[in-house]
Amino acid sequence: MEKYALIIAEKPEAARRIAQALDKEGKPEKFEEKGVPYFHALRDKRLVVVPALGHLYTVVHERGRRNYYPVFSFKWVPRYLAERGSKNIHAWIEVISELANGAEEFINACDYDLEGSLIGYSILKYACKDKENIAKRMKFSTLMKSELEKAYDELLLHLDFGLIEAGKTRHEVDWLYGVNLSRALTLAAKRWSGRYATLSTGRVQGPTLKFLVEREKAIQCFVPTPYWNIKAEVEVKGFVYEAEYEREKIEKKAEADAVMGACEGKTGEIKEVEMKKFRQMPPFPFDVGSLQAEAYRLFGYTPRGTLNIAERLYLEALISYPRTSSQKLPPVINYQAILNGLSKDRNYKDLALGLLTKTELKPLEGKKSDPAHPAVYPTGNLPERALSEPERKVFDLVVRRFMAVFGDPSVKQSMRVSIEVNGHCFYLRGRRVLEAGWLRFYEPYAKTEEVLLPPIKEGEKIRLKHVMREDKFINPPPRYNPSSLVKKMEDKGIGTKATRADIVETLYSRGYIAEKRIFVTSLGFDVAETLGKYCPTVVSVELTRDLEEKMEQIQNNQEKRENVLVEAVDRLKPTLEEFKTRETLIGEALSAAIKRAKMQERIIGQCPDCGTGQLMILYSRKTGKRFIGCTSYFKGNCKTSFPLPQRGTVKPARRTCRACEWPLLDVRMKGRRPWALCFNPNCPLKEKRN
Amino acid sequence: MKCKVCGKEAVDTYCELHEKAYKNLMEKYEVWKNALDISWKEYLREVAKNAYTGSWVKEVAEQLMRSEGG
Repeated sequence: MEKYALIIAEKPEAARRIAQALDKEGKPEKFEEKGVPYFHALRDKRLVVVPALGHLYTVVHERGRRNYYPVFSFKWVPRYLAERGSKNIHAWIEVISELANGAEEFINACDYDLEGSLIGYSILKYACKDKENIAKRMKFSTLMKSELEKAYDELLLHLDFGLIEAGKTRHEVDWLYGVNLSRALTLAAKRWSGRYATLSTGRVQGPTLKFLVEREKAIQCFVPTPYWNIKAEVEVKGFVYEAEYEREKIEKKAEADAVMGACEGKTGEIKEVEMKKFRQMPPFPFDVGSLQAEAYRLFGYTPRGTLNIAERLYLEALISYPRTSSQKLPPVINYQAILNGLSKDRNYKDLALGLLTKTELKPLEGKKSDPAHPAVYPTGNLPERALSEPERKVFDLVVRRFMAVFGDPSVKQSMRVSIEVNGHCFYLRGRRVLEAGWLRFYEPYAKTEEVLLPPIKEGEKIRLKHVMREDKFINPPPRYNPSSLVKKMEDKGIGTKATRADIVETLYSRGYIAEKRIFVTSLGFDVAETLGKYCPTVVSVELTRDLEEKMEQIQNNQEKRENVLVEAVDRLKPTLEEFKTRETLIGEALSAAIKRAKMQERIIGQCPDCGTGQLMILYSRKTGKRFIGCTSYFKGNCKTSFPLPQRGTVKPARRTCRACEWPLLDVRMKGRRPWALCFNPNCPLKEKRN
Repeated sequence: MKCKVCGKEAVDTYCELHEKAYKNLMEKYEVWKNALDISWKEYLREVAKNAYTGSWVKEVAEQLMRSEGG
């Protein structure tokens, strides 16, 4: 077979799109070997497009056992040698190596970012045997045919070594922190208790957990203070409106009562009518963080979930590359062509055609930029298959946001009517939209509630029908949610646009945090407290941010990878030495935390019989069988108990039965669908079934 | 010495976290007294049953009510 150019894509779907775009006839030939798909395309020469499967190589300890620390020597190896469940990577590397033997030219066509550059580089270096220095680079932000063709015709002559070095450093520094600290925590606990339990932390995970713990402390130590506000129902031209008292908060109840007494049933006079017109500018184009925040606000999708959906849409060439920090849309993306494409969908037809009639299309842009990619935008392609509901929602959001940024400012009017009553003042507020502007494009996602007031003149008399006092309390600081936590990480400069969502997910999967309105579990709390007490540098935001900045400098060729690695090791060494000297103390604290967490996991809820004890999953000392018992049994106060299935796993479901409101249990058994068990023997649902 | 609420190592009467909760509880009494003109015991009762009160503060308030016979 004649020699060919080997193009490496990041994922199978991307490989298919690239092959299809580059093949002269748009019909590349598909092959499959050992389960690995690849494509033959014909253009100016023969092209073979083969996908990676994300990272095929990873960092591991150079030699030695797994159960000690510190470890500072590492090497890059195929993932199947380092991770369980990655056996298929073996075949992948074999197939790519075979294809590399017949290639005369090499092109990295993975996503143009830290990860994509590193994925391509490590394949070229290891699987293709040192082809990284002769390989070329395709740079694109969408998988549209036109853009892929352009990227191929204007190949970068070298790989992006700045990105590659930064990517390598990130993986290596994260490995150094992760492996050493996680081993230190796990071994400390194991040496104290003799039991093995995986505990982990990392360079970004530690400081992130620290934010959460700080917030948790503020919430748990919070004392609410009372205040009152006063509202009045006023009648204007036959309609009833609600007016607010001039002071938003009254700190003394007696004062609030005095205001009520002075105003109840009285007639007031309109002293002033203030009208204000103001313009509301369109929003900025989506960078990945604002897309994640908006999808959480509107649909409740987690940042990780949104990113997964956006990546699927990107792989289908429906939207541009989502992992971007840019809020800019350069004209080169061709606004008209995108709007023309969108106008073929009846949902967007009128809006897109409306924009196309404008004399000039100029998006409102934010300050943030990204050297590699523009903001997230729709490509103008329409879905070829029926999208799932989450995909459809995110796609619609991206489309509408794209159109909104070209919209005119919306013009709104606010009205404030001051009513004087017996020496006190109430405000009646109205608002209306005069010109919708960009709101027309973003309508379902930016609703404006209008309060229309009738024409009112100064000097008019108004009767206060009813004066109400509202008893209020200052609220504790809000809990973070996955979206606001990612935003906080971004504000503090820790993690990257690509990793923040994953770090939040890791905290969930480790059992350090729970629920959408995040609370820190006792295990998370104790791990963070232990780290903060015995190795504060590990949870220091400043140090983490400093490292992030250094890695960015590597990307811009202003810093060397070796220097950053040496610095990371220099910082870690004393921390780990200190940790070792206090290992017994730390082990004791962590073991207690693990024990508490395990106990906590078994608590089901309050005992319905005694009301004081907690129902828990217990094990009989005699038979070893599990059952539900009350903790008050040990004090001799309560003998409540319930039987449990003896096979499979049983866990508190943290929700209640819809019929009897008793706590539910999640039961999982091999070969059966998981189900929620209500252990109340008198549950009405059971009676119905019987 | 052990914390009177949770039994962990105490800083003074309470562990570090309950101590912080206790300090907040003491500090805010003046605000409540000014707002509602209530006694210390009434204050503890109100705080203990308030939905916005942090759980460590609640635990301290309940412990104080028990120890003061409230």
